[in-house]
Amino acid sequence: MSKNNGKGAAKGEFEFPQPAKKQTFGQMIYNPEEGTFFGRTGKNWSQLLLFYTIFYIVLAALFTICMQGLLSTISDTEPKWKLHDSLIGTNPGLGFRPLSQQTERGSVIEFNGKKPAESDYWIELIDDFLRDYNHTEGREMKHCSYGQTHEPSEVCVFNTDLFGSCSRANNYGYKANQPCIFLKLNKIFGWTPEVYDVPQKDMPDDLQNVINGTAVEERKQIWVSCNGHLSKDKELFQNIRYFPSQGFPSYYYPYMNQNGYLSPLVAVQFNSPPKGQMLDVECRAWAKNIIYSGSARDRKGSVTFQIIVN
Amino acid sequence: MALRSDYEHGRADSYRVATVIATDDDNRTADGHYKSRRKMPAKAAKKENLDDLKQELDIDHHKISPEELYQRFQTHPENGLSHAKAKENLERDGPNALTPPKQTPEWVKFCKNLFGGFAMLLWIGAILCFVAYSIQASTSEEPADDNLYLGIVLSAVVIVTGIFSYYQESKSSKIMESFKNMVPQFATVIREGEKLTLRAEDLVLGDVVEVKFGDRIPADIRIIEARTFKVDNSSLTGESEPQSRGAEFTHENPLETKNLAFFSTNAVEGTAKGVVISCGDHTVMGRIAGLASGLDTGETPIAKEIHHFIHLITGVAVFLGVTFFVIAFILGYHWLDAVIFLIGIIVANVPEGLLATVTVCLTLTAKRMASKNCLVKNLEAVETLGSTSTICSDKTGTLTQNRMTVAHMWFDNQIIEADTTEDQSGVQYDRTSPGFKALSRIATLCNRAEFKGGQDGVPILKKEVSGDASEAALLKCMELALGDVMNIRKRNRKIAEVPFNSTNKYQVSIHETEDSNDPRFLLVMKGAPERILERCSTIFINGKEKVLDEEMKEAFNNAYMELGGLGERVLGFCDLMLPSDKYPSGFKFNTDDINFPIDNLRFVGLMSMIDPPRAAVPDAVAKCRSAGIKVIMVTGDHPITAKAIAKSVGIISEGNETVEDIAQRLNIPISEVNPREAKAAVVHGAELRDVSSDQLDEILRYHTEIVFARTSPQQKLIIVEGCQRMGAIVAVTGDGVNDSPALKKADIGVAMGIAGSDVSKQAADMILLDDNFASIVTGVEEGRLIFDNLKKSIAYTLTSNIPEISPFLAFILCDIPLPLGTVTILCIDLGTDMVPAISLAYEHAEADIMKRPPRDPFNDKLVNSRLISMAYGQIGMIQAAAGFFVYFVIMAENGFLPKKLFGIRKMWDSKAVNDLTDSYGQEWTYRDRKTLEYTCHTAFFISIVVVQWADLIICKTRRNSIFQQGMRNWALNFGLIFETVLAAFLSYCPGMEKGLRMYPLKLVWWFPAIPFALAIFIYDETRRFYLRRNPGGWLEQETYY
Repeated sequence: MSKNNGKGAAKGEFEFPQPAKKQTFGQMIYNPEEGTFFGRTGKNWSQLLLFYTIFYIVLAALFTICMQGLLSTISDTEPKWKLHDSLIGTNPGLGFRPLSQQTERGSVIEFNGKKPAESDYWIELIDDFLRDYNHTEGREMKHCSYGQTHEPSEVCVFNTDLFGSCSRANNYGYKANQPCIFLKLNKIFGWTPEVYDVPQKDMPDDLQNVINGTAVEERKQIWVSCNGHLSKDKELFQNIRYFPSQGFPSYYYPYMNQNGYLSPLVAVQFNSPPKGQMLDVECRAWAKNIIYSGSARDRKGSVTFQIIVN
Repeated sequence: MALRSDYEHGRADSYRVATVIATDDDNRTADGHYKSRRKMPAKAAKKENLDDLKQELDIDHHKISPEELYQRFQTHPENGLSHAKAKENLERDGPNALTPPKQTPEWVKFCKNLFGGFAMLLWIGAILCFVAYSIQASTSEEPADDNLYLGIVLSAVVIVTGIFSYYQESKSSKIMESFKNMVPQFATVIREGEKLTLRAEDLVLGDVVEVKFGDRIPADIRIIEARTFKVDNSSLTGESEPQSRGAEFTHENPLETKNLAFFSTNAVEGTAKGVVISCGDHTVMGRIAGLASGLDTGETPIAKEIHHFIHLITGVAVFLGVTFFVIAFILGYHWLDAVIFLIGIIVANVPEGLLATVTVCLTLTAKRMASKNCLVKNLEAVETLGSTSTICSDKTGTLTQNRMTVAHMWFDNQIIEADTTEDQSGVQYDRTSPGFKALSRIATLCNRAEFKGGQDGVPILKKEVSGDASEAALLKCMELALGDVMNIRKRNRKIAEVPFNSTNKYQVSIHETEDSNDPRFLLVMKGAPERILERCSTIFINGKEKVLDEEMKEAFNNAYMELGGLGERVLGFCDLMLPSDKYPSGFKFNTDDINFPIDNLRFVGLMSMIDPPRAAVPDAVAKCRSAGIKVIMVTGDHPITAKAIAKSVGIISEGNETVEDIAQRLNIPISEVNPREAKAAVVHGAELRDVSSDQLDEILRYHTEIVFARTSPQQKLIIVEGCQRMGAIVAVTGDGVNDSPALKKADIGVAMGIAGSDVSKQAADMILLDDNFASIVTGVEEGRLIFDNLKKSIAYTLTSNIPEISPFLAFILCDIPLPLGTVTILCIDLGTDMVPAISLAYEHAEADIMKRPPRDPFNDKLVNSRLISMAYGQIGMIQAAAGFFVYFVIMAENGFLPKKLFGIRKMWDSKAVNDLTDSYGQEWTYRDRKTLEYTCHTAFFISIVVVQWADLIICKTRRNSIFQQGMRNWALNFGLIFETVLAAFLSYCPGMEKGLRMYPLKLVWWFPAIPFALAIFIYDETRRFYLRRNPGGWLEQETYY
């Protein structure tokens, strides 16, 4: 018992610990007496390094195995979760072009048609965007039309010649201060539209007129309308034109990640945007299975952008 | 005979015989001494003042003649001071009251809590949040309120934690208040011949005051007149017996002399008149109060550890934060983004819940200790006891039962051992011999002690007794041996009595006997053995009366020496049957002018008493030793008694000798003994007065078993400081006001719950409810356990920091969408991690923690580099891998394959981009991909919970396998379930997507983390397997935290 070990270890038994000697900053980095760098000898450091190297190699191997396992369950052609199962959902949003690559510019399209540098910036962006649409050589594409059926693997052609005054030849209207904005409906794998073939009460009047003026068989479209985001701008939206039509024909759907698939586009031309003033535009897609929400945080079925023509 | 003189002023005499005035007077009179102190410049004064207070009380007011006294204070015994002089003195010296110590204002304390620790870091985070929000608010119409929200949450966390710790702190440190309560309110003073009733604060030096029983002494006074005046000095010296006081100067030591009475002690009997010799802070009590409150107690060891840890974590947080802030700039991020990164890194780095966890863990242990009779006042003290390497224990009441008990009897020429155990489980002795019968008759009859009423159910030894301690011991002994003592006394009616006094040193009484046929009176006497023996001519041995010859005297002396050597208080007993012819029935005995024989009596025997050690103490002391704790006894008691008790409880272990023992054995003078040879030492307070601090260090270093006897409160403090100087963490036990400076100075002061004075309880950090030393050992055990468990708890909590920080780093460096948000980090730190971390406080010890030496406070840190290396470098990394894997799984399964994610961040976070393309050509709106991102946050969060299961299980043990430790910690098992349920709730409860941005997960997304959880478990089991296989090996040096 301790009574006995008091004799043997008497000196050590109640030796109280003392604080370690203070080291200078220099000694902390390199202590020549003990041969330590930052408190460890070279051998010590290399042992530690070896340990951690092995540890992280093994961890990396584990991570890699897991990632391989993950990738083996993932198909190259279609997402694992689709529509309802996927977080992308069944409610496609709208996208617009031109969109500046500088994300801090946000969704503002600002230019002066008289200054080539400014308008060319946007024209080039649109050129890039439309390159796939214009160079369809060598691709197997089908000229689809309403009433025709086509295989899911077949891709419908989108004809850029129908953009009218929004054509490349017209510089998409930018040099004339009548900019064209290209709208497209977001691709969602396997999504098919349920179109409105009669005008709805909440549609803007001009859209109702357009629908009424469209042949019944051509009404299978996801309709598009652009308007002032804030009601005060509404009167500025009288003079808008849509090319090739005011909607996306439903025969382009569903999107099945077909090779060479091109989204249908709607070019919206603002013929008389106010000078030097921001035009806040909200464009909306209309279909039975597109739910709309205009709030900034929870935007659905629509898109906003701003045009400033100086 | 040394022994005899010891008895003469033994216990009943005074407590501090040792504190004899030193001869080297620095010729400062008391007056000048005080005055010069007052004039000292305040700054220099403080330190000097404290040193001064540590010195022994050094006055001569009790030594000088009354005339000189009156002269000195310009006062008069009948007329007192003049009003003018009193006013002058009052203006010079200030009021007769204790100066309250400077208090830190409450709001300062509150602010310290609000801005200390991690709070500052979190405040910076919160402010950055508000700045970021206000900038966003001013630049965009519909700003995201994330930052506002986060700022509010962070502020709330800081404020709640601050209030929590402020509340904990404010409960302690009210030490001065109890001193205030002791200040007497009014005093009767004579000034200019008139009796006045003044407020005690208005008393001045030289005032003549009158005190009567029931009063508190209003200042330190020199008594000039007294009538049966007795004071209770217990609040000052810890000695509970009232002491008589009179005008005569009896002792050099001011605390011992009869002609001084001290401020705030109680007058219990009689009346007295005295001259005020010191006031307010200069009184003995004032000095102790000043000492106790002026002592800088420093941080508790656990507070040091926590500060160390906070510095470490803050350092890492600031380093990472600033580095990545700079990197973000270099990478061309907008400065507002860089600020948001900084917030994220801070939030991820700070374990927000950890300080609260530590507090809760300590509270739980405190509660557990309270149920084992250790009441902890200051939470941090819970751990201090575990780090303790030296215990300076009081003797009376802590090591002993604080109850005089008859230990031995000598009759029929043999020493009989009486049973001193608390529960009468010891040896029994023959109660039928004539010798015992005669002895017990004297002990029963010549005894004024009586049991107090209303204690029918109480065991005899625990009953309260009125009367002096020795008589009480005899009474109890007799009650146990004979039964109803009061009845025996009734049957042997007392006719006359001469009470004990210090001149006679005996007590005698005359009784009728219960034998109605015997008309003779019985005379019984007890007293100091040598005095009793002088009065005897015969001795009663084995039922026969023999002549007291030299042989018998020798036998008596041997017995007396032996019992005295045991540190016991010995009483002699004798009796005589008065011849009925000389003293017939109805004889009038005169006790003033003694008309009966008190010589030529019949000697019967000796009885010796001691305050026996508590039953559990020897075991507890042995436990302390095996736990590497040095137990030092510090007592005001006599060295012989102290040594005897020390030996019987094992503080001085068997076979270990003191210098004196060696000298005696070898028959050489003490000076020739090499002090290094003696492992034990009994140091007398008088010697201690003369040693320098170096010499004291030497004593403490070279003797493993030390007893300090006859020590004064100041010396107790010096001993504590000596131990601390040597690097020990010191626990001190004490009960009197006199102990409060030592209690305060000690790393942990332990006061006695039953015998302790209020002041000592206030000064202490812990209170032993049963006054039992053994309870300290329980406390030590709990303290050590909680330190181990806090390590585990912190290791567990810190581990999740890596999976919290790494998403931010990846976000910045790899340009991927953020894998884990700040709100989810807070959900981990303040939600799912809390209960499991706390539950580790309930973990059982892995091995016998009382078999290892105390913690080395300089090297054995709560959070050391090995813990950080384990938590951050190893387990944390595996956890981060798990989190990222889940993130990639969800992204890939929804369409974003890993390689698509790199570099996508800008587009991802741009609201303008409403059609971000994934790997399958699908286009994601801003809203949809944010839903995806937040789902990833939730999944990352869930996967942290999953890997924390494994972490919790591996943190249960530091060395053992979980298969050795078992899963019997039900709090921890509950913690596992709790964190899972909470995680599921946060993910699946409707509305969470709005409040916390947590989205429901598919069940399969819980699983990807499981291989990593298994990896953690297997890795750590393997690591600990090799740790056990190779004790002291490389793995232990690098990973055993």
